[in-house]
Amino acid sequence: MYARRLVASLAALAVAVTAGAVPIRAADAPEVVIGAVLPLTGTLSQTGAGLRTAMLLAQDLVNGHVSYPLPMVGKSGLPHLGHARIRLVFADSQGKPDQARAAAEQLITQDHAVALIGTYASSTTATASQAAERAGIPFLNPDSSAPNLTARGLKWFFRTTPNDATFAENFYQFLGDLKRTKNITVKRVAVVGEDGLFGTGAGDAEEAGAKKYGYDIATRVSYPATTTEVNAEVQRVKTSSPDVIFQASYVPDALLFVRGYKQQGVNVKAIFAQDAGFVDPNFLKAIGADAEGVFTREVFSMDIKFRNQAVPLVDQLFRQRSDGAKPLDGNTARDFMGVLVLADAIDRAGSTKPDAIRDALTKTNIPGKLTLMPWNRIHFDATGQNDGGVGIIEQLQDGKYETVWPFDVAVRPVVWPMPAWKR
Amino acid sequence: METLTTFEQLLVGGLLAGLVFALVAVGLTLIYGVMDVVNFAHGEFLMLAMYATLGLALVGIGPLVGLPLVAVALFLFGVVVYRVFVRRLLAGPPEATVFGTFGLLVLLQGLAQSLFTGDFRSVPDPPFQATLRFGGVALSQATLVEGIGALVLTAALFAFVEYTEIGRAMRAVAEDRVAATLMGIDVQRVNLLAFGIGSACVGAAGALLMLSFPVFPTAGASFALTAFVVVALGGFGSIQGALVAALLVGLLEVFGGYYLAPELKMVPVYLAYLAVVLLRPQGLLGRR
Amino acid sequence: MRPHLIALGAIVVLCAAAAFGLHDTVTLDLLFTLLLYAVLGQSWNWISGYAGNISFGHAIFFACGAYASALCVTHGLSPWLAFPAGALVAALLAVVTGFPTLALRGHYFSIATIAVAALVEVFVRTSPWLGGANGFELPIASGWAALQFSQKGPYVLLALALFAIVQLATMWLERSRLGYYLRALRANHAAAASVGIDERRWKLIAFAWSAVMASAAGVLYAQYTLFVDPPSTIALAISIDIALIGVVGGIGTLWGPAAGALVYVVLAKGVALQIGGTGKGYDLVIYGAIICIIAAWRPHGIVGTIVDALRRRRGTATATPA
Repeated sequence: MYARRLVASLAALAVAVTAGAVPIRAADAPEVVIGAVLPLTGTLSQTGAGLRTAMLLAQDLVNGHVSYPLPMVGKSGLPHLGHARIRLVFADSQGKPDQARAAAEQLITQDHAVALIGTYASSTTATASQAAERAGIPFLNPDSSAPNLTARGLKWFFRTTPNDATFAENFYQFLGDLKRTKNITVKRVAVVGEDGLFGTGAGDAEEAGAKKYGYDIATRVSYPATTTEVNAEVQRVKTSSPDVIFQASYVPDALLFVRGYKQQGVNVKAIFAQDAGFVDPNFLKAIGADAEGVFTREVFSMDIKFRNQAVPLVDQLFRQRSDGAKPLDGNTARDFMGVLVLADAIDRAGSTKPDAIRDALTKTNIPGKLTLMPWNRIHFDATGQNDGGVGIIEQLQDGKYETVWPFDVAVRPVVWPMPAWKR
Repeated sequence: METLTTFEQLLVGGLLAGLVFALVAVGLTLIYGVMDVVNFAHGEFLMLAMYATLGLALVGIGPLVGLPLVAVALFLFGVVVYRVFVRRLLAGPPEATVFGTFGLLVLLQGLAQSLFTGDFRSVPDPPFQATLRFGGVALSQATLVEGIGALVLTAALFAFVEYTEIGRAMRAVAEDRVAATLMGIDVQRVNLLAFGIGSACVGAAGALLMLSFPVFPTAGASFALTAFVVVALGGFGSIQGALVAALLVGLLEVFGGYYLAPELKMVPVYLAYLAVVLLRPQGLLGRR
Repeated sequence: MRPHLIALGAIVVLCAAAAFGLHDTVTLDLLFTLLLYAVLGQSWNWISGYAGNISFGHAIFFACGAYASALCVTHGLSPWLAFPAGALVAALLAVVTGFPTLALRGHYFSIATIAVAALVEVFVRTSPWLGGANGFELPIASGWAALQFSQKGPYVLLALALFAIVQLATMWLERSRLGYYLRALRANHAAAASVGIDERRWKLIAFAWSAVMASAAGVLYAQYTLFVDPPSTIALAISIDIALIGVVGGIGTLWGPAAGALVYVVLAKGVALQIGGTGKGYDLVIYGAIICIIAAWRPHGIVGTIVDALRRRRGTATATPA
């Protein structure tokens, strides 16, 4: 009877799966396992591959003996743990929240990770960090920007990157600085963004900032990310007469909007882009001179190399290892630093016990100059958020993004207003 | 600001957007009309056509010059896919064509990602990038060219189906496959040609779209969903219906986006589809 | 009936043993996922397989349960309430959207399901009380009252219970009057109508029950993953995953969804392990190829093909299953 055969085959499969799931233990080596959850397959897999490369680079530098002005680099492992090496073990989130959770659990229970790091997308970070919270394992998030991740009251969650609220604040601080130093006044802001987590999160933060700093919200536009035309959206922005547009878009929609603004004569003083599509080289190639003068918030720039000479060195090493010789960018730089921060905490703890590592993390205090980032410092507040994080603002000048704010790290002066579009 | 100009601008924008949808949908209509197959991988055929156009552009052949080449390439591709795959699907249970073409969608997207990466690539220095102004209304030259292309393609396909022998054979098969066989029409050959020509139309669409859009592995998906709605709304198999429905969808999307809210702009489109399909199941201008 | 019951019993015993005996979180997670997808696949099977109306929007019913759970928990109510609440909303949604569309032929219905799902997604994204684009994160809790557990065993048992209920219900469907009418309708609309079988009525019933089953799976999912947002519960991709499980396993067969879920889970994990990290999308190529091959050469899916082979051996005509 086929039912019996079916049962037999299912049983055999079940045994096979179970057997296959039991790992073969390698001989014990003095090493500390750090689990990394990243989107290695699925739509974010390209980014995930780059982040993996960056993390592995950090691991090798920590385990190596070449010293750079960065925490834990070149000390041949963790000195307070008998120079034990750190070893990153990766698990795939597939870009999905339920898979991220499973990946985190796998790293904790099967690979015995003493800490976790990851996961890029805010939704996957949410679930992976919850798994860590349940297990009492420290979770370091170097790259997710949704503000609510540090508003959950979790004890084991630490985030080094600034979040959307900080990035919005940066723009308003920038506007404030412009008013003070150049007497530039802006009154009305339009907030435009795609309708997913990225655009909505950035938009909410910008709206909140507008209210806080006393700006009028001319209009708030939220559009489906995969749209193929933006007639209505552009008209809405135009008829609201804004001075400045905040724009959170990916490459295809960024192209549609900038071209649409040009066509319809939406002559604003500035467009404040939220990274993403606007910093993609493909966008810049396609848009040409039409995006000249666009501002974007960024988390990293090679311009800060004068603060720390390790910046070009790490960039070079990363280029050698990355597929397509890609340069270091905001995502890879932050993930690189994340590994160093964890190594630093584990070393100061002098132990692989989760409680000790967590305690050491709360006491983290790394000066900004010793990082690759334009930050003031790395120090976690009571909610687990790094309170020393700062974004920078760049402006597209002559086809290249140049740092223009904060003024003490700026390499070029601000061009205000944006140059009018050439017909 | 002036409401009248805004209204005119939205009207023109909506009509042009509708024409772009028509451009993408016209090939799908033919395939469905003749062989009762909704090619769910339609968007991916479009995406491949766009990559082909990019490839030609990178060796110096611009989108307009390359259009006939891309159309021929897609025709051949369609013929091969039909011969190797779709023909088998048609011989199976009705759901096989639905899943088969969906499988093709996944496969082609995966191949594109593997071969071309997820980067958003545009044709370097495309033509027709200027802005045209008529009265108070501004429009993109490229979009106008796409719109004209849509009208030309629709008219050409209509003429082909109405006035040529093969076209008549296609209409016969569309109307009654069994009777057509009895009349001596080689149904397999008609199907093959229909699939090929439908794919060629998609090829032309892809080439024109590269005037204003970047290509990436899931680029087709953005257009395809609207194309399906357009074809169903217009009445599967009706070329004029697809054009009318496309214009309607374009206007609904743009006016809905402005007077309702941009995040709700697809709502009138989907509601219109459901309403028409409920009240007039054969679509606006459909035959059956 | 007997062999199916025996098979089900064996699976229940095996999985229950695993739930109690194993502590390996990775395997238990796989088992939970497998059982949940099998339930989802079976719920889809009722409308798309047995009733013959292929749905590409089934995720909305799954989302009903998931969001019901999230809403209950964030409003201080017991998550157990999400089972009846989600089921009610799902059934209502099925009836409201099914009433105008179930009498439509093939492709029209499928595209209608996509349109309805897209509308639901827009609605959820633009409604702050439904979490908007951010979705909900469920706070950590423990115990049967909170329907959350620190161990995986209880989750697997719940999924197993749901799977058993759904399989039994489907066995009943195959032998019931409803099932008989659905088969008649699939075989020949016109003939069935002429004998007085009301197509809309019977299909609506099947559709509503299918929605209820999917919703129950959604509740469990939410309580397990602790995160609910539009991309992970309502997106077209989720509906396609559900449909694929049904197709690969064998559309319209009793054990098809279970087989399809097994293939899907094994493939997902296997592929991720082998080729993960290159960012090249090879996993999509493999999935796509498998679906194409099945559609073109084995359209009855794994179980359907087995059933056909057995029927041929027994000498009965290879009737299309269900």
